[in-house]
Amino acid sequence: MKDSIRKAYLASVTDRFVKGQMDRCSFLRAAGTLGLGAGALGMGLGARPFYGISRAQAQDQELKPNADVMKWLGDVGKPFAGTTLRLATESTPPSNAIATQLKPFFEQATGIKIEIEVLPLEQVLQKLTLDVASSLGTYDLYYIDQSWAANFSQDVFDPREQLKNTELAMPNYNIDDFLKPLVDGIAVYKDAMVGVPYDIPIFIMQYRKDIWDELKLPAPTTMEDLLNASKAITDAKGPTVYGTSGQMKSGHYSLECDWTAWLWGHGGSIFDADGKFCGNDEPGLAAMAYWDKLKATMPPGVDGWTWDGEGQSVAQGVAASMLSWGEFFPFFDDPKASKVSGLMEAIVPPKPTTTLRTVKETAFGEIPGVGHQGGSSLAVSKYSKAPDAAWVFMQWATCADTQALITVLGGGTGPTRKSVYDDPRVKANARVGAGTTRHLPVVRDTIANYMGSEPDLPAWAEISSDTIPVALGKYFAGQSGSAKETMDALKIQVDAIVAKG
Amino acid sequence: MNPSVASRTLRTVGAWVVVGIFFFPIYYWTSVAFKHGNAIFSRPPNLFNFTPTFDNFQKVFGISFGTGGVTVTPGGGNFYMAPRIWDSIVVATLSTLLAVVVATLAAYALSRIKFRGRHEFVNWVLSTRMMPPVAVAVPMFFIYKQFGLIDTFTGMVLIHGLMNLPLAVLLMKSFFDDIPVEIDESAIVDGASRFMIFRRIVLPMAKGGIAATAVLCFIFSWTEFLFALTLTTTSLKTVPVVSSTFVTSIGTAWGNMAALGAASIIPAFIFILLVQKHLVRGLTMGSLKQ
Repeated sequence: MKDSIRKAYLASVTDRFVKGQMDRCSFLRAAGTLGLGAGALGMGLGARPFYGISRAQAQDQELKPNADVMKWLGDVGKPFAGTTLRLATESTPPSNAIATQLKPFFEQATGIKIEIEVLPLEQVLQKLTLDVASSLGTYDLYYIDQSWAANFSQDVFDPREQLKNTELAMPNYNIDDFLKPLVDGIAVYKDAMVGVPYDIPIFIMQYRKDIWDELKLPAPTTMEDLLNASKAITDAKGPTVYGTSGQMKSGHYSLECDWTAWLWGHGGSIFDADGKFCGNDEPGLAAMAYWDKLKATMPPGVDGWTWDGEGQSVAQGVAASMLSWGEFFPFFDDPKASKVSGLMEAIVPPKPTTTLRTVKETAFGEIPGVGHQGGSSLAVSKYSKAPDAAWVFMQWATCADTQALITVLGGGTGPTRKSVYDDPRVKANARVGAGTTRHLPVVRDTIANYMGSEPDLPAWAEISSDTIPVALGKYFAGQSGSAKETMDALKIQVDAIVAKG
Repeated sequence: MNPSVASRTLRTVGAWVVVGIFFFPIYYWTSVAFKHGNAIFSRPPNLFNFTPTFDNFQKVFGISFGTGGVTVTPGGGNFYMAPRIWDSIVVATLSTLLAVVVATLAAYALSRIKFRGRHEFVNWVLSTRMMPPVAVAVPMFFIYKQFGLIDTFTGMVLIHGLMNLPLAVLLMKSFFDDIPVEIDESAIVDGASRFMIFRRIVLPMAKGGIAATAVLCFIFSWTEFLFALTLTTTSLKTVPVVSSTFVTSIGTAWGNMAALGAASIIPAFIFILLVQKHLVRGLTMGSLKQ
């Protein structure tokens, strides 16, 4: 039996059992046919929360914080009992796992109250900007998107300096355990560490293995494979199913993220070594030509979607693939949330068409790589009224044990520490179903070998969230002439913004 | 067919079509609240034939945090929103009360008492209505921080009350202008004081106007976003602000958002039901000037 068919059958059987359409004996019999044994019963028992794992599995895995970590918290945190710490964060799996599942452990051990404000990314930026401008210390910790690192580098403590305070340092915190590409790409600006890597949404290739097998297409391991396969699928199955999808909402940051993947993948870069915008050079225009062809194989309405719509288009079976955030993968495997549970496969991003530009050929720390990363760091604010208590929380929230719990409880989100990828609790969830971690080896490989990082400069938040996506949005709406004209005009704008400083 | 029957039938059908058009979004939104995630974006859209679920409402109103359990929430944040609806009810109700009480007194004075600069004062009140909230949101943040009003009911009630005050004053003045001055004059001749006239004679006659003003103030406060976002952090949040919590890094939890949205229609609906007797009269009051 083909693996994809096996997975699809297992997913449908589990789904029917959870919905009460199948009794326990029948479920076990069906699972036994697949060679899964009685352990499969746990997959269908208990509540099947959205994205998560079942109670039976969790209890089996004893998902509780490490006793040594708890003891350290009690010893170090108790003097700060009664303090309230505030954090504004995007709604990401780590933040949600901490806010809803793990925070009580910390609060019980230390007596420190944690208040987490969950907001869309744009509003987090607004809140942090206000806090920094006022220096009022409304928030004790900052959730800093990698594109904001330059803006907030002066407003947070460097964790390497904080670790020198041995009284508050967590034993075995091991700051070197964070994946080096993530530290460089997310949490470093001009040799200063802007917190530690906290989450790592990264572009991986996610596609419908069943459709690829049906049409006998090669896995999309190159740009050409992806384009050809998308065309073939759209021709064969459109308009019911399209070859691929995109996050191309006009004027939204998501459009810039998509653009960088194709730009870097064609040997281009955003800035040249002199710090001038070069998206209008030959590789940049080749990327636009490729993107135009690829867009023709995407569902209509793709230029109204952010990653949300892109993920939904795949989850509903409308698009057969996407090069997008790996955090979506567990969502695809959840039979309650998607129609493609068990049918998706994850591989590293398609190989670029030519050699990638090196860091020396770019500026502002830009790292070309098709696997665009959108990670964030967590840092203690310099304006916090309780920086020591905040540092204790930050160490706990980003230590290996908590990250392992987050990865499992938070629905298969990618960890930022090396050791967590090999944690037995994380590996135990590498199966088809909600909260799967079976895509994490691909995430790890992408981080190590295919990751791309945006430049770090104070104006980047404006350029990436406004200037570039507005220009690209106009291009795809047919409002700004040819690709060359668009990118030439964009160059003038971006260079002017950068020159202003 | 009798022409009058035909025209009546046509009117009835037309009315139902218009009602259907206006009601359809509410129906669709409510149906999303009862769907699983994989049924929300079905193609073609599934309006009636779906398996309903209460999961979304459970998550939004009845979630358990369970420190030892595994109530995994989606990558969509803390979805327990019942306290937020209460926050919205308290803020909207108290700010409406504040705005209506102050506006009624101010509007009566502007309508009845001749004082120098009265017209200029009315124009000034109108001009404050045209000020964009985004222009003062940041200064208000600093002021509120200084006075310790960030993230407090007092702060939110004050700002919403202030925000609605110009509109309430202008509306109420229009309603008071509709009540003949002669009534006041007769009462004065009979020996009533100004406040007695206001309380015993004019105010009861303006009940409809007060109801209409109160409804508008309530709705504006209920749906206000910018100040609620800027002037609160974690303790107090209103429904429009927490609705954005459902927008996550891995997609929008549409079902849960719809559950909150469908439920949040109810308080405003109840409020309008309570005042509807006065509402219709109030909406037409002030439309004819003597």
